[in-house]
Amino acid sequence: MKDLLLKIINEIEEKGAEYVEIRVQNNNNTLINIRDNKVEAITAALERGAAIRVLVNGAWGFSTTGDLSRESLTSAANSAFKMAKVASESIKEPVKLAEIKSVEDKVSVPFKLNPKDVSIDIKVKNLLEISKTCFSIDNRIKTVSVRYADLVTDQVLATNEGTYIEQLKMYVWNYCWVTGKSDGVLASARDEIGAHGYELFERDPPSKIAERVSRKVLQQFEAKTPKRGQFPAVIGTDVVGVLAHEALGHICEADLTLAGSAILGKIGEKIASDVVTIKDSALIEEGFGYLTYDDEGVRGQETTLIENGVLVGLMHNRETAAKMNVPPTGNARAQDFRYPPLIRMRNTYFEVGDYTFEELLEGIKFGYYLESFRGGQANLDGTFTIGIQSAFEIVNGELGAPVRNIGISGNTLETLMEVDAVGKDFGLEMGRCGKGQYMFQSSGGPPIRVKRILIG
Amino acid sequence: MYLDLCRKAVNEGLKLGATEIEASLLLMRNISAEIERGQIKGCSATDDGGIGIRAIVNRKIGFAYTNNLTVESVIEAVRSAVKAARASLEDNKWKSLPEPRPYPSPADGYDEKLASLPAERAVEICQEVIDAAVDYSKKVLPAFGETAISIGEVVIVNSHGVEVHDKYTRIECYLAAMAKIGDTTSPICHEFSQSRKYEVNPREIGSKAAELAVKSTKIGRAEPGKFTVIFDPIALASLLTFTFAEVIRGDMVIRGRSPYRDKIGERVASEKISFYDDGTLPGGIYSGKCDLEGVPRQRTPIIINGILEGFIYDSYWANIAEVESTGNAWRGGGGLRLPPYATLPFIQPSNLVLEAKDIVESDLIKEIKNGYYVRDLQGAHQSNPETGEFSVAAVPCWKIENGELKHAVRGVMLAGNVYEIIKNITLVGDRSRQVNFFILPQVAIEGVQVIT
Repeated sequence: MKDLLLKIINEIEEKGAEYVEIRVQNNNNTLINIRDNKVEAITAALERGAAIRVLVNGAWGFSTTGDLSRESLTSAANSAFKMAKVASESIKEPVKLAEIKSVEDKVSVPFKLNPKDVSIDIKVKNLLEISKTCFSIDNRIKTVSVRYADLVTDQVLATNEGTYIEQLKMYVWNYCWVTGKSDGVLASARDEIGAHGYELFERDPPSKIAERVSRKVLQQFEAKTPKRGQFPAVIGTDVVGVLAHEALGHICEADLTLAGSAILGKIGEKIASDVVTIKDSALIEEGFGYLTYDDEGVRGQETTLIENGVLVGLMHNRETAAKMNVPPTGNARAQDFRYPPLIRMRNTYFEVGDYTFEELLEGIKFGYYLESFRGGQANLDGTFTIGIQSAFEIVNGELGAPVRNIGISGNTLETLMEVDAVGKDFGLEMGRCGKGQYMFQSSGGPPIRVKRILIG
Repeated sequence: MYLDLCRKAVNEGLKLGATEIEASLLLMRNISAEIERGQIKGCSATDDGGIGIRAIVNRKIGFAYTNNLTVESVIEAVRSAVKAARASLEDNKWKSLPEPRPYPSPADGYDEKLASLPAERAVEICQEVIDAAVDYSKKVLPAFGETAISIGEVVIVNSHGVEVHDKYTRIECYLAAMAKIGDTTSPICHEFSQSRKYEVNPREIGSKAAELAVKSTKIGRAEPGKFTVIFDPIALASLLTFTFAEVIRGDMVIRGRSPYRDKIGERVASEKISFYDDGTLPGGIYSGKCDLEGVPRQRTPIIINGILEGFIYDSYWANIAEVESTGNAWRGGGGLRLPPYATLPFIQPSNLVLEAKDIVESDLIKEIKNGYYVRDLQGAHQSNPETGEFSVAAVPCWKIENGELKHAVRGVMLAGNVYEIIKNITLVGDRSRQVNFFILPQVAIEGVQVIT
């Protein structure tokens, strides 16, 4: 394979391409869906394909093929070259790539148990146990859907700069959606977890997953709707990562920053209170965003975005790094061989402080503790929203009644200034993010307190 | 040739002991040009295709797929599917794969001209979009955009004699623009079009996105309370996608997850509201001969003058409900964005059409004394389909005073219950547009809770 890729790369370079990159993947995917104690489907699939990116006169060309024969790869490479050529006719400001040291390496994500070494029977048994346990906990639980996937990818990245990286990637992912009904009231909750290997289910056994998600459903039957408006809040470890991801992360992805996001031109400025430090790191081994090299062959690293309230860095690929004259940070990631790499987050988190949870609640006369989330979304102007699936009132410094149907919204530049205390217990959530492509990433931090946030 | 490949797969499966089997083959070619930061960034030509095999062995279901369309690989996928079926547990609700039924005449879904459009033309369209945005105002940055042409083929064969081949074309063009005026940055503002034929108006897309961005920088005060809110089709689609569109699905109804499960014949929406699911609509983005398990597309009434009439089904859930499938099986996507050949079918609307009424769209705002106009929503995917509860940010959003858009507002949230507020739709516009699987006009809804 190596000789073939290098030969094709060489041919395209000789035609006049500045940069040629071929990413070949062989994927071994297992997906299992469970619905109400029934196996809905077991899917086993082998797939393979190649993504080819070419830079000609500063314009990108991209093509893909699912056929790894010499003829098909050559034809796809020529197609990428042609696409770049067509685009280059109208490019005004040519794309340049930040210099990197080319590297030849063979690496693997850290894992304990390869999911391909676990039989389908055991996987199905564990998933059925989640479903059955949920139903056994309380007769108000009415439906349970469990979606499981393990994706194992052998990837080769070859470029005309001499980079040749073989990489083993692995994701084990489990998602539950549970609904319940009590006196005509319907409620639902989600639970999403992941790890690189099948050790996921040792760390988080099926019964524990079932109890956690069922409790969130049942809690909503007791819950009332919130008062709406501006209130102080303690944002729990489950939600704080989403805040880091949605409120700050997206507008610090340099492609979005350069497109005019709210923090454009604010590097070196204070945009958060002194107690806020936020990082995006490729180096947390248990995180879904762990990587040795990104999909442009840049070494994974820890990137500080905010240090003690000051915006100090952004997340880059080679293109935005060159444009802003900084080193690339290793954030270029692609869903699979059907897509080109984009700037994506890895493990995004608030650094810990020194408050205990009780200390965070102290001093709040009336506010909310936001325990777990449904999802989040951000706009480039800094507006973010986070849907909350479980929350409690805080009354005179203590946790009170549960509340439901709650969302929070704010603007990054205002909300991060309102953080006045940071907890000491760190947690990391595994999740997915959609930016045209889905991507596994994780986010987290300790619980934090904000003086005011819009509760809707 | 692909029809033969599917037939081979079905025959092989029967030989291996499958009691029923289905092969669904999908091919997708995509040509696109991309806009980033006010210029053309690049072009791409991608090919993806594969075959999904659903094998049933005595009510046990197995599935496998491959993106390698050689006979050997397809046969291997058939073996995997049969093996997976044998390893699975019996589904006592399983009845049968679909039986053959006559197909509607083609719904104008394939345009030769579009299928042969060169990448150069996609670049030109993008350039026209950029120029139109900047012509509207020099303060506008055409941040992101794309012109994408998709050409596809679907072949479905099953062991009951279903054999169908359909082709489609689609062109989508969009721009996300922002404006910076003084110290004020606008939110990102989108405009787009989707069509099955070579019909695109780049200047309209560029100038509309620019206009929204510029207009959302003139910010004024927002007041909280209950107001009449005009929902643009984009905001309305966003709100309904994760609630209404979920609970009209037959599986949600049968599993007891839909609040509509026992409400057929009852009033569930304002009497101005009539919804159809129409997979035969000429030019509809999701129109075609058949759904993705080979069942004919059709027109299904959902709500007529506010009264709930019916639900949408694929064959599995239709069999359980003892009704005929409404041709709403779809594949792909999900949490992992899988290609359509890589998943089993699930229920999804085709084109969910809200019938337009007679208020001229531009007159809608004139009817409102004190309210808001919402173009898009943020966070609608966090809504709760079972209860209808939502809590979203309105971005971009404008205050309406005395029948005019007064100024943009920031930091505004809307909260409430979708199934309640659709009973309070008072006005329905006369022009509709397609937003993904919805075709919607603007509507005015009374008494929406606005939080600031």
